[in-house]
Amino acid sequence: MAIRLARDLAIGKAGLAFVRPSGESAPPTGGGMSLYPTYPLRTQRLTLRPFTRGDVDAVYAYRRREDVTRYLFDTALSREECALAVQQRIGQVALEAEGDKIILGVELDGNGALIGEVSLIWRSVEARQGEVGWIFDPNYHGHGYATEAANAVLDLAFGPGGIHRVAARCDVRNERSWRLMERLGMRREAHFREHALFKSQWDEEFIYAILQQEWQAQRAEQAAT
Amino acid sequence: MFSLSLPIQTDRLILRTFERSDIDGLAAYHALPSVQRYVFTKTRDTSEVAGALNLMRGHVSLQRPGDTLTLAMIRKGDQALLGHVSLNWSDATAGQGEVRFCVNPAHAGQGFTREALSAVYDLAFDHFHIHRVFARCDGRNHHSIKLMQQMGMRLEAHYREHALFQGEWDEELHFAILDREWQRSTKVKDLPVRHRVA
Ligand SMILES: CC(C)(COP(=O)(O)OP(=O)(O)OC[C@H]1O[C@@H](n2cnc3c(N)ncnc32)[C@H](O)[C@@H]1OP(=O)(O)O)[C@@H](O)C(=O)NCCC(=O)NCCS
Repeated sequence: MAIRLARDLAIGKAGLAFVRPSGESAPPTGGGMSLYPTYPLRTQRLTLRPFTRGDVDAVYAYRRREDVTRYLFDTALSREECALAVQQRIGQVALEAEGDKIILGVELDGNGALIGEVSLIWRSVEARQGEVGWIFDPNYHGHGYATEAANAVLDLAFGPGGIHRVAARCDVRNERSWRLMERLGMRREAHFREHALFKSQWDEEFIYAILQQEWQAQRAEQAAT
Repeated sequence: MFSLSLPIQTDRLILRTFERSDIDGLAAYHALPSVQRYVFTKTRDTSEVAGALNLMRGHVSLQRPGDTLTLAMIRKGDQALLGHVSLNWSDATAGQGEVRFCVNPAHAGQGFTREALSAVYDLAFDHFHIHRVFARCDGRNHHSIKLMQQMGMRLEAHYREHALFQGEWDEELHFAILDREWQRSTKVKDLPVRHRVA
């Protein structure tokens, strides 16, 4: 698990490992800008759009499940709690200030079903930091839908959002989630052990991240192949 | 419950809380650009050091979460102030503590910080029953990295460009060690003056 970290740790290589790359981006000149995306966002198979009041049942179908909420801060939600969550999400469509979230429903174009949600949080305006998250209905796991939707969110963050670095976090046991982070080309930057309590037990957490210039290079490479 | 027995003696050092008379010794290193990341109040010149000293003089124990204990590293013999180490009780429910340390570069490289930190770790784990001690440092600070490794700490995070520091993209490392992983040094155990709860 911690192979990358272990490699960085090799003190003999520190002189090399910590040298800054010459192609590094210039330090920032100011804070980020607000982000008001034009919806819906479309990908090959999916439509990402703001939540509506009609989404409560579809959200309840997956947020009620223990297997879905196991590694979320929330526990399984009741229908009333889902209605409240959806109500909140309806207004979470733009980034205007630090801490703001964009949370979008993901619709499968084939059958129009709401299959999950993706989020982008503005963590720091000054340092242009963002954080992404995702929750999908297990009935639709294993088809690359989460990857496809997350790619669209990263394009949004790094393109119109002007974000410099996007991070994602998950429980170490949430292998589906961190494998998704790796598919997105994110780098494991942290492996915290027993740094906090999670659902009354010691927490073990990964943090992954990717920088704007890395994302853009990766997208250019994908476009070329 | 957390009554502390200070000062602490180590081989070569006396660790005690800060006093008014430490101002000159502190001014000798506190305003250096290289230590600004690790101090509680940024100081651009020695005139601002008095404020920092005032703050640290209040760091006398850990009574509630958020409290900090800061100990001056005094060399036995000449009583010179070499630097300081501190322990912040950052989270009570999960028993987390953060250490910071600064040493006057004139006294670096002689193991003083390591000696002081060992005593602070004993204090953290045995006296305050902290579960995990962590430290943050600049990704390019090879001295700190080496020290953290010598302390038996694990590199848990390596953040790149996650924040701005003094107008530049920052690179930050987190090191940590759990109570069950900390190897008590026999030297420190021999100390007679310490009050132990554990
Ligand atoms: C995290 C989560 C969104 C990942 O879902 P997922 O289905 O594994 O991810 P994807 O939709 O990208 O599907 C990837 C899988 O589809 C496969 N796949 C099929 N077609 C694909 C395509 N066109 N593109 C990419 N992958 C494809 C992949 O090989 C992969 O399969 P594998 O799991 O057998 O390796 C999901 O597990 C989830 O909602 N968990 C519960 C909530 C949660 O924990 N959220 C995260 C909190 S940190």
